[in-house]
Order: sequence, then structure tokens, then C-alpha cells
Amino acid sequence: MTSNAKTDIQIAICGSAGDGTIAAGDILKQAMAKAGYNVIAFDVYPPEIRGFGKCVARARITSEQVYSLKGKSDCLISLDDSHAIPHVRELRKYGAAIYEDTPMSDMAEGMHISGHLEPGHLPYGVPMREMSERITSSGRSRNIVAVGYLAGLYDMPAAVFHEVIGEKFARKSPELGASVRSAFDAGFEAGAGSFRLHFDRIGAPGSAGRHVDLIMMSGNQALVRGCLDAGIDTFFGYPITPATTIMEMLAREMPKHGGRLLQTEDEISAISAAIGASYAGARAATATSGPGLALMSEMMGLGAMAEVPMVAFVSQRGGPSTGMPTKTEQSDLNLAVYGVAGDGQRIVLAPTNVEGCWKCAGKAFEMAERYQTPVIVLLDLYLSNRYEAVELPDENPFASDCSKWAERDSRARPYSRYRITDDGVSPRAIPGNPGNMHTVTGLEHNEQGRPNDQPATHQEMSAKRHRKLLPALHHPGITIEKRFGDAGKVDVGILGWGSTFGEILEAMFEAHKLGVSCAAMKVVMLSPLPVDPINAFMDDCDAVLVPELNYEGQFAALVTGATGRAVNRLNRVTGTPMNVHDIVTEICRLAGRTDSIAAE
Amino acid sequence: MAKPEHYVIIGNGVAGGEAAYHLRQRDQASRITMVTVGRLLSINRYELPKLFTEPNLDWRDFLLNPPEYYADQEISVRRNTWVTNVEPTKRQLVLRHRETLSYDKLLIASGGGRHIPEILTQYRDLMMKFGTYEEARSVCNALPKGGHMVMLGGDMIGLDLARALVKGGFRVTVIGKDFLFWPHQLDPDEKESFAQVLRDMGVGVITDYGAASIAADDRGPAVRRIVLASGETLDADVLLSFCGLMPSLAFLAGAGVDLERGVLVDPHLQSTDKNIWAAGDVCQIWSPEEKQYRFYYGWGNVKRMGQIAAFNMTGGDESISTFQDERLVVTGSGEIDSPYWHYGGDSGG
Repeated sequence: MTSNAKTDIQIAICGSAGDGTIAAGDILKQAMAKAGYNVIAFDVYPPEIRGFGKCVARARITSEQVYSLKGKSDCLISLDDSHAIPHVRELRKYGAAIYEDTPMSDMAEGMHISGHLEPGHLPYGVPMREMSERITSSGRSRNIVAVGYLAGLYDMPAAVFHEVIGEKFARKSPELGASVRSAFDAGFEAGAGSFRLHFDRIGAPGSAGRHVDLIMMSGNQALVRGCLDAGIDTFFGYPITPATTIMEMLAREMPKHGGRLLQTEDEISAISAAIGASYAGARAATATSGPGLALMSEMMGLGAMAEVPMVAFVSQRGGPSTGMPTKTEQSDLNLAVYGVAGDGQRIVLAPTNVEGCWKCAGKAFEMAERYQTPVIVLLDLYLSNRYEAVELPDENPFASDCSKWAERDSRARPYSRYRITDDGVSPRAIPGNPGNMHTVTGLEHNEQGRPNDQPATHQEMSAKRHRKLLPALHHPGITIEKRFGDAGKVDVGILGWGSTFGEILEAMFEAHKLGVSCAAMKVVMLSPLPVDPINAFMDDCDAVLVPELNYEGQFAALVTGATGRAVNRLNRVTGTPMNVHDIVTEICRLAGRTDSIAAE
Repeated sequence: MAKPEHYVIIGNGVAGGEAAYHLRQRDQASRITMVTVGRLLSINRYELPKLFTEPNLDWRDFLLNPPEYYADQEISVRRNTWVTNVEPTKRQLVLRHRETLSYDKLLIASGGGRHIPEILTQYRDLMMKFGTYEEARSVCNALPKGGHMVMLGGDMIGLDLARALVKGGFRVTVIGKDFLFWPHQLDPDEKESFAQVLRDMGVGVITDYGAASIAADDRGPAVRRIVLASGETLDADVLLSFCGLMPSLAFLAGAGVDLERGVLVDPHLQSTDKNIWAAGDVCQIWSPEEKQYRFYYGWGNVKRMGQIAAFNMTGGDESISTFQDERLVVTGSGEIDSPYWHYGGDSGG
């Protein structure tokens, strides 16, 4: 390792399902996080449940804090040329391509990746299969040989890979662990022995290395950790990409903590059961994606009307309808914020990074209870599957009970479940509390919960249900919105939400390098919207840009509707994360500049 | 519309690169593919000795053309790729990674590797190489400041390096009983007189005895002990062999193309197969003057061969001049050179 060099290397591993592509990427990112580097990683799976679809694992390894993947990778590993060939264009000039040099069978002209590399790429053909067979008596460890070769070629610390391999395979069998380690070592030796023509160097971990407790987590993993830290009691769900892993992980973990999980027959049952459990006093949640949220919208309305706390984790994917299950998109904002019959406002939180997933998950339960409302935590596939090295505090910051409970056994006066209060939150009771008998219904109701459609009642109750959510804008311990970059007046301000905010920050820093004065604001709470801070931010900006991964500019419309001010929209629906270069180009255009950064 | 011709060139040295350039000039619609075992695009190996005087240079500084040139010219360069067979009847190559590659016209410009005299072949692993950037950089890294390099042979390629090393403050000894000044054939008096020129430059030259054996010394992996036929010993930090070139044509075994030490071609550079040409250090050209096939070395020659091969592969009719002035001369700056060996510094295409 070169101790003084800054590290910023992005690796893309591309293969077919069954090649161990994601497993190889997992070992890489876990090892480098263990070594103290910042790691951002994102895996792409095939849409097919069975078959041989394409998998891509990308990991950006840095010594300094970064916020997104790069548009181009520094190294591409091909475990299946037919899938990797289209990704050759993602490899930067003078980037290294590592590929299989001893395929199983003869191939026609043009089927091997070496014929598709650009003149500026550096080819490293490696007999992965032969090496794997020689070392492990099977070709199945060629992915590990490839990772070993990469580690050797880039002078990565082998010891952390050994640790990760040991941990990963120890549970299966010690023999398998030893065999995999041998495959890694063979690859490492070959890589270390190759002449290095590339110019990337692995330096010391840098400021990231100060943290000894960096944990490599995906957005969904962090979200699950947040649920567990917040003391989730019950979970009801129905599998759907990209939210399925939330339920899978909770299914493993909740029983250890005394919790219960049930896979229901569909999304409607899942949210209905979650509302029922929550009504009964449990901390309850469900998880789904856009199509599931569409099915849940009726029960979301019941939750709002009946003022039942409940948390729904929604990870967006390409839509509408079944859409693009394994592609990322931010096009369910309208559904999350508005998707309900009537004026059914609820809280919508959209974390912008992996740590934010943990925080929003835990705080969602607090908010649901405190404001007696459904809370949607809105992720997308990119954030759900994105890995970052995060450091979580030792102390659990989530309150175990935030409900405003009704006094039990109060016989002095009849219990009014929906009593009008100054803050709009009525003391809550669970069924069976003596003296707290009440009615719960989806019909409009009076303070006792009895159906009532009188004009004054509906007016008053609608105001109550909206008023009670406003304090959420100042809920303790969570960032509702935050400004970054230049202070004071700027040429360009960038408003962002969700997973795209990482790319926005990277773009802002690039724009700073070009001398453009700009600032960025992330908005975590989408409903209710923090209008005053957004207005203050917009006051400082000559032009405001809103980049987001949807076609209609849903957040831009939300902001314009709330502030009455125009914004500049940047919309992409490519199924992939926003390109930093595109944002920088737009920033420069708005600043009256003609330059930008290089496309790579 | 006729299908575009696919020209495949095996090798990406001076001859191959020059041919690719002229093929593109003469046939804009064609496909051009270069195949090479190296990882790099064509480099100017004549300038590799600069690594010893300008150590901060990297491989990009030696590229004959930048990557953009190949993209602009639509020349595909398949690097890190080995040809295992040529099948002239199918007009296809078989690559080591089991892919086939078809061609309409094939140019063999695979050059040559170092030649090691038979008596010393058992010691080949104790000698470093200097043919590619990677090899040159490895030599550079292995040779300590002011260190001692010993060259077996001392051909014209090696003497270019010797000159750069002496300028860089290194010690150089040439064991030049055989192959000194190769490919020039000198009589004993001439050879001694030019050897003296080398000595005057600061290069140690041994012409009485050749190396009899080589051993790895225990001071490090790159340290070698050379035992001369006289019994004297010589210690080297780096040992290299500069005893001429051995054409690289193992992949042509069984292809049906006439071979001797190289690919036999007529003065049009066409082989005995009508779709296969050869250029550069790999080919033996029929010399009508000498009534024999012979090699023509040197930057000027191989560059010209690349041009002529491209010309004839695209329907031209041009012969290479097989006469050359083979005198060895001492230049005004005191360096040994010859008109045909002289490297002019023009990177061609």
C-alpha cells in the first residue's frame, strides 16, 4: 500500500446469476470496510426469479468521504463476457479489465470481451477457471480467484479478505472456508505478480480509518437494524422487489428479540394486519414497493382516519404497474404523499443514505406513535441495495414508547378517543382498557369516534388530523432538512431528496471545483413538507435545480405547489442512479457557464 | 455492396502499426484488427533506454499513438491475446481463449523474441528481458544506482541500451565474442576497431571469451555470476542477452505457409499463401541479388515493410528493395550506427 496516496477506486464485477458475482462483490466491500476504507456499493440483480440473468456488483472504495458511485469504474471484472461486454463502456480510460482467459468452450468471433475493450483499456486475462480447478478441484471458485487477483493487482491488504472469507464460510464448513481462501490466495499471488500498468493506488484508509467500528450495511439492512433498535413487535408483509429482503432479514432477527412476523397473502392483508396490531398497542410495520403501496392505499386512509400509528417501508422501483422490478426510480413520491382517498395526510420520510435508513426507520415508529398516524419511509432500489460503511452510535437513540396514552380507569368522564386538543393529538387507548371504551371507524366521526358527517365535524376533524402532524417538522433527533455547500447567496441551489442526494452532493463539490457558487439542500421529510426552510434556501439561490429519478418531476411539483416558486427540473428515468455529470452540466448551465466536468 | 475486407495483423510493433495506418489510408471501409500478446498499444521500443535517464516516464510516454488514434482510425487492437493456430483454408485464426477470428487478408508482423545461444539456453531464466515496456521497467527497477549490467552478445539493440546506461552513470560490460554488432557481420579487425569505440564510450567489452555458465548469486534474485570460458568470473546486478532475434512464429506451425527461421516471403512480402503477408523481424525476404532469403532488420526497414505490405494487401504492386548499405559507421557524436539501423524518431502513422 502507498501510505500517502488518496484512494478512490471503483470496481464493477459483472456476471451471470450463479457465477458468484454478488458474493464476490460482498467479500470485496466487506474486506475494504474492515480495513477502514469508506465503501459505497450497489448491486444489480436480474429481474428473473430463476435463470441466468445479469448481476452487477459495484463498489467504490475511498479514503475520504464520498456520497455516490462514480459514473465510470476503474476496474471491470467479467465473470460472464456476454453480460460484461455492454458494460465495457463504463470502464474509464486506462481502467483495467480482468476477465476469464480459459473459457469452458469454443466461442464465435466477438463473444470474448477482449475484442470489445477500448484502446485505452488495460487488459488482464486471467485463467480463473483453471486456477480454481487446480486449487479447489472445482471451477466454482473462479469468482474468488478474480477477487484475489484484483486484490493482488491493486495491493489491497490480503489479511482482511482472509478474515471476511473466514467469517463468511465458517458457518458452512471449515473445509470450504480453507478451500475458498486458497482460491483467493492463488488469485492474489497472480495479481501481485502481474506488472501494474494502471495508475490507481490504494493508499491508507485516511480519515475514514479513524473509525474502528465501520459497519458495511445496505439501506435495507440499516432499515432493519433501525426497526430492531426501535423495538419493533410485529411485522406483516408480502414479498416484492426491492423490499423483500427487509422481510427476510426481519424474519431471521425478530424471533430472537421476541417479535413476530407473518407473511400474509397479499399487501392489503399485510397493512390491515399491521394497523390491527398497532391498534392493539404493538409497534407494527409492513414493507412493500410501489405496486404494493398502490394496493395499500385504502388502508392507509383508514390509518389516517382512525389515527392508528403504523409504519410502512416503501422501496421504489421503475413503474408504473409491474414496471421494472430491478431498476431504481423515484416515481412513487406522489403515491406516498397523496395516494389516498380524501385528505389523508400522513408523514413521509425519505432517507438520503444508508445511515439515514437506520435513523428514519427508528424515528418512524416514534413519529407514528407521537402523531398517531401512518408513516411511510420511502426508499428506492438504489438505496435499498446500496452498501455504505457506516458507524452507528453505541447508545440506542430511539424512544421505546412515544404514545400519548389516555388515563386508564378514568370514570370521571366518558373517554373521547378523538378529543380535540391544542396539538391535535388525542390521548390514545388500546382495546380492552377499562374505562376507555371507544369506537374506531373509517367513517368520519366525532370526538367519541362515533360516525358523524356533520359539516362542522368534518371541518374540525380534518383540521385536527392535519394540525397534529406539523410538530413532526421539529421532531427531535432527526434531520428534517439540511443545507450543504456555500453559505449565503449562491448562483445555483440544488434541492434533492432520497437516494439521489449523494449524486447531488458529489455534483455540488465538482461545481465548486469549477468555481461555481452553489449549495444543496436535502429534504428528508416530504410530508408535511418543511416549507419555511425550503423558502429560505430558495431566497438565497438565483436558480434552483431539482434532480430526481422520475419523468414528471414529482418533487419539483411538490415544492412548486407548496412555495409557489418555479424550479428547474432535471429528470431521468433510465433505471440507474442519476449521473453526476448530468447534474454538474445543469448546474453550470444555470450558472451561465459553458463548461462541465468530463463525462467519465 | 461488397462486404468490407477484414485485415488482421498479428503484432503491434513498428511494422504492424505502420501497416495498419496505410491499410486505413487505402481502404476506408475495411475492418482492421491487430492482435498482440502485449497489454499495451504499440510502443516505441527504440526509446525504452530512456527509462534509465528519465525514470519518471511511464508507458504512456512511449506510445507510438494515443488510444484516441485507434478509435479515430477504427483500428481494433486485441491485446493480451495469443494466436495458437492459423487456418489458411478457413481464413481464420484460433486464439488461445478459444475464440476464432476470421480474416480476408492476414499480415504476420509478430516480430521476434531474444535469441539465446544454445550453450546458454539452460540459463535463460537467469537473464532478464528488455523487449517490452514491462520488461524494461523491471530491468530499471532491478538495476541499482551506479549498478553493473552485463550484456551477453552486444547486438545493435543492446548497444543502444548500453549507450543510455553509460550516460546514466551505470557500468556496462559486453561479453561480445559472438553477436557483437549483430546483425552486422564484421571481420575481426573491424570488430576490434569498433569495440575500441565502445570502450572509449565507457563500455567494458570482452571479445576474447564468451560466457560458459551462469549462476544466481546469493545477494539477491537479480544478481548473477557469469563464468567465462577462460574461467574468469564476472558479477552482474542485471544480466541481459542481446544475441539477435528469434522470430516469433510458433503459431504458424502446420499452417502450410513456407517457413525457415522466419516466414518466407517474396519482395512483395507475400508468403506462399495468397492471403498471407509478412513484415518486420519475422520475415525472410527473397533477395534476387543474393539469391537467398534473408532478414532485414532496423527501424527503417521494418517501417518500410509495413508500408509495402499494406500497399500490396490492398491491391498494390510494390517490391521492397533488398539492397542495403550495411556499413557500420562512427557518427560525428562518436556513436556507432549504420544507415539502415538508424532510428529516425518518426513514429509513422
